[in-house]
Amino acid sequence: MRLYVHWPFCLSRCSYCDFNARVCDESRMRGYMAALLAEIGLWRGLLGRRDTALSSVYIGGGTPSTLSGEEISSLVGGIAERFGLREGAEVTVEVNPATWVAEDYAAACAGGVNRLSIGVQSLGDDALRLLGRKHDAAAAMRALAKATGSGAASVSVDLLLGVPGGDAASFLAGLREVIAAAPQHVSLYALTLSVNSPMSRAVRRGEVAMPEEDEVAEQYLAACAEMEAAGYEHYEISNFSLPGHACRHNMAYWRREEYLGVGAGAHSFLGGYRFHNTVSLLAYMRSVSRGGLPPAEGLEYVGEAEGRAEEIMLGLRTARGVPRGILAHGGSRLGDLEEMGLLAAGGGRVHLTARGMLLSNEVIAELLPA
Amino acid sequence: MEEKRIRNFCIIAHIDHGKSTLADRFLEITQTVPHQKMADQYLDRMDLERERGITIKATAVRMQYKPAGEEEYRLNLIDTPGHVDFSYEVSRSLAACEGAVLLVDASQGVEAQTVGNAYLAVEAGLTVIPVVNKIDLPSADYEDTAMEVADLLGIDPAEVMAVSAKTGEGVEELLAEIIRRVPPPAAETGLPLRALVFDSTYDLYRGVVAFVRVAEGMVRKGMKARFMVEGTAVEIDEVGYFSPDMISTGSLEAGEVGYVITGIKDVTRIKVGDTVTARDNPASEPLPGYLEPKPMVFAGIYPVDSDDFSDLGDALDRLKLNDAALTFAKETSKALGFGYRCGFLGLLHMEIVQERLEREYGLDLVITAPNVVYEVEERGGKVTYVRNPSDLPDAANLDEVREPYVQATILVPPDYMGAMLELVKERRGIYQDMVYLSGRRVEIRCRLPLAEIVVDFYDQLKSRSRGYASLDYEHVGFLPGNLVKLDILINGEPVDAFSSIVDRGRAYDYGRRITQRLRELIPRQLFDVAVQAAIGGRIVARETIKAKRKDVLAKCYGGDITRKKKLLQKQKAGKKRMKMVGKVEIPQEAFISALRVTREEAGR
Repeated sequence: MRLYVHWPFCLSRCSYCDFNARVCDESRMRGYMAALLAEIGLWRGLLGRRDTALSSVYIGGGTPSTLSGEEISSLVGGIAERFGLREGAEVTVEVNPATWVAEDYAAACAGGVNRLSIGVQSLGDDALRLLGRKHDAAAAMRALAKATGSGAASVSVDLLLGVPGGDAASFLAGLREVIAAAPQHVSLYALTLSVNSPMSRAVRRGEVAMPEEDEVAEQYLAACAEMEAAGYEHYEISNFSLPGHACRHNMAYWRREEYLGVGAGAHSFLGGYRFHNTVSLLAYMRSVSRGGLPPAEGLEYVGEAEGRAEEIMLGLRTARGVPRGILAHGGSRLGDLEEMGLLAAGGGRVHLTARGMLLSNEVIAELLPA
Repeated sequence: MEEKRIRNFCIIAHIDHGKSTLADRFLEITQTVPHQKMADQYLDRMDLERERGITIKATAVRMQYKPAGEEEYRLNLIDTPGHVDFSYEVSRSLAACEGAVLLVDASQGVEAQTVGNAYLAVEAGLTVIPVVNKIDLPSADYEDTAMEVADLLGIDPAEVMAVSAKTGEGVEELLAEIIRRVPPPAAETGLPLRALVFDSTYDLYRGVVAFVRVAEGMVRKGMKARFMVEGTAVEIDEVGYFSPDMISTGSLEAGEVGYVITGIKDVTRIKVGDTVTARDNPASEPLPGYLEPKPMVFAGIYPVDSDDFSDLGDALDRLKLNDAALTFAKETSKALGFGYRCGFLGLLHMEIVQERLEREYGLDLVITAPNVVYEVEERGGKVTYVRNPSDLPDAANLDEVREPYVQATILVPPDYMGAMLELVKERRGIYQDMVYLSGRRVEIRCRLPLAEIVVDFYDQLKSRSRGYASLDYEHVGFLPGNLVKLDILINGEPVDAFSSIVDRGRAYDYGRRITQRLRELIPRQLFDVAVQAAIGGRIVARETIKAKRKDVLAKCYGGDITRKKKLLQKQKAGKKRMKMVGKVEIPQEAFISALRVTREEAGR
C-alpha cells in the first residue's frame, strides 16, 4: 500500500498558485493534525485484514515543512503505528527553503523520513520575488545543503521553467548551481498560472509578460541535455534522477498502482475507483471529528477502456513507455509520430523522445483510443 | 362578397420604416386580432424575423372593415419583405395586388430601395398611396419627406398622408383612403379557374400550403385541379384565407387571396409562380409567371459530421418550399467531403438559411466563403456557369470570364458624396451619373461587380456615411473581367474550399492576405505547415506555420490523473471536429473567415 498525506497549510500564498492550500494558523494546524491521524485510523479499520504495510509515504502540500521536523517525525510515527511501514519504505516530505533549520532536517530523518523534496523553484532573486516566495536564492542553496547533509537517502529539487524575466542562459546557470550541490533527484515544471492567482491577473493586466512557447521549449531541451550530461536519467517528463533514485511513490502513480490519500482534497485510487476527499477544510475536519470518513467526491469507476486510456497517458510520461500492443488502434499515426522524432520504439515498447515529451499532450491525445 | 368591396394591397417600405407596426395597427383596428393577443409584429411569424426585426416571407391576411356609415369591406393585406436580398418577393407580392401603400419614415426620408420598389409598383400598374410614417418622433420632418415622396411619384405633396403606426394616428384615415383609391380586383368569375401561386409554406401534417390569388373563376374544396406549369394533378383538400390564422371557407372567388391545400407532400411539385386551374374546365394558358428569382451568391454548406449529410439534404428540401429563391446541388469537396453548393439572393439570405438550418434542424455546419456565379467562355465558344471557384477551368482553356454586375443607386447626403465615390472606385465600380434630389440628397448611379458588394459593401457604405447612405441595385447581367483563380495550397496540396476568383490586379494582395489570415486561423501542428497562394501553378505568396514545439509541461501525480485524462480526451474529441487536409488539421471557422476577413482588410 502507498499513502499520500496532504498538508494544506503554507507560510503565504505564492503568486502563481490557487491550489488547495491556506496560510497557516497554529490552532487549525493542531486540529487538522489530529484529524489526519483519526482519518488514517479509520481507514485502517475499514481495510480490515488487508495488508496495509506501506512501501511509500509522501507528505505533500501545501507546505508540510510549516510543521517542525519533530512534528513530521511524530506524524510518520503515527502513520507507521497504524498502517505499518515496510523495510526500506520511501518516506518523502516536501520542504520549503524558508522554513526549516538544520535541527528540523535531523529530527525528520531520525523519525523515518528518507527523501526530502526541496522547493527551490528558481535561483534568481528577482524571479523568486515575482513568484511571491519567502526566500531568496542564497536561502534556497543553504536549505539544499542542509538537506544533503541531513542523512536522507535522496534529496530532490523542484525548479520552474519559463519564469518571466528569465531566459535559457539564466535558467541553465541556476540549474548548474543545483547540479553542483549534487541532489539525487531534480523535478522541472513549466510555470503554469492558476486562473485566479495574483500573477495570472497581472498577466491579464499586461504588467507581467509570460515567455514565448519557443523560449520555454529551449529551456526544457537545454535542461534535458544538461541533466543527462551530469549523469541524471530522464525517467519521466518532469523528473530526472541519478540511477536508483527515481521517486518510487510517484512511479506507482504512473504504473496505475493503488494508493490512499488522506487529508483535505487528497486523491485515492482504490479497488478500481478514483475519488478524492472534500477540499473544504471545515467539512473535512467536521466529518472526521464525528468519527466518519470525509465526504468523497468525484467518484469514478475506472473500467477497462478508461483503464487502457490511463495506461497510455501515464505510461507514455515515463522513459519506459508502453507496450506497442496497446497502441495498435493508432494505426498509421504511430509511424508518423516516429518519423517526426516524437516517439521512439525499442524492445516491443514505445516511448516519447525529449521533443515528444515537450508535446506530450498532442502526442498522447493522438494515441488515446477513440 | 362582391368584388367591388374587395381590396388587395401591400405595403412597400424600406427596412425599419415601420411596415410591420403599421400592419399590426391594421390588424388591431379591423379587430382581426384581438388586442390582448396582439404580439408585436404579428405578421412576422418566424422567430428569426422577430429577432432581426425584418420580414422574410410574404404572408397574406384577410381583414373585415366597416367604415362608419358604409358597408363592410374585405381588405387583403399582402405583406412584403424589406431587404434588398428579397426584392424578388416584392415583385411576387405586387402581382397579387391592385394597390400599394408606400411607407416612408419621416426622419429618414426616401431610401434607395423605396425608390426601386415604388417604380416596380408603378410599372405593375398599382395604385400607390404615399404615406409618411413616424410623425410622432421628435426628429420627424414631415414636410421635407412629403416633398421627396411627391418628387418621386410626380404628385402634389398635399396628397401624401401622415401617420404614426406606433400611436395609431392617421391609420383609420389611411384605411379609408385605401378603400377609396385602390380599385377592386377586375375579377372574371365566369371564366375557367386561374389562380396564381405567389408563395407557399410547408405543414408537417398537411403538406404544401400554397398561397394563391384567384384571378379568374373560382376554386372549391373537392375540385380536381392541376398546376399548369409543373403539370401536377391534385384534388383540392381545403380552401381558405388567413385571418391571420388559416380559416377554411370551402371556396375562393376571382379577386380573392387565400390558400389551397392539396395533400401534396413533395415540395418540388408545387412551384411558386405556377397557376392552378380546374381539370374539367381548364384555362388555356397559365398566368404570366413571376420574375424567376435567380440566386447570385453561392457557398458550399457541409455537415461537420459526415453522417449528417442526408439530414442536411432533407432540411434544404424543406427550406426550399418556403424559400423559392434557395437553390442547392450536391457537390464533393476534397477538403470537406460531401455537401451542397447553395445559391442565395444575397448575404442576408445566406445567413438566414444558415441560421435556420442550425436552429430549426439542429445541424452543425461548415460554410465556405460566399462567391458569385461566373459566366465562362471556353476556347471554342462553349459557355458555362461556374458556381464554385475551384471549378474554373484551366486558364489555357479559357477565352473569357465574365462576372455579374449590378446597376446600383446610392442615395446619400451631399456631405458624404466624396466618400461614396471613393468606395465605388475601390470596389471596381463604373461611375455613371449623379442627380440632386431636394437639397438634402444626392442620387449616385453606378455599375458595380456583384462580387465586390456581396461581402461587406453595405457595411462600408453605412460606416463611411454614418448610416445615412442607402443602396438599391438590380442585376444587369455579365460583363467581362480580368479575373484569375487564386488557389490555396496547404503543404503543397490545393484545398478546393479555399479557392477564389479575383481581379488580376489585386490577386497578389489577396493572396498575401489570405495566407496571412490562414496562418492565424490554423493552429500550430506537430510539423511545419506551408500555406501558399498560387495563380495557375505560380506561387504568389507563402506563409509558414511553424511546428508547435511545446505543450503545457504540467506535473501529473495522483491528484492530477482524472483531470488530465478528461483534458486529453477532450483534446482528442476536438481534433475529430477539425477537417483533415492531408495531415493538417483545419478548424471549421477557417473555411469561411479566411476569405471574408481578407476582403474587409483589403477594402480599407
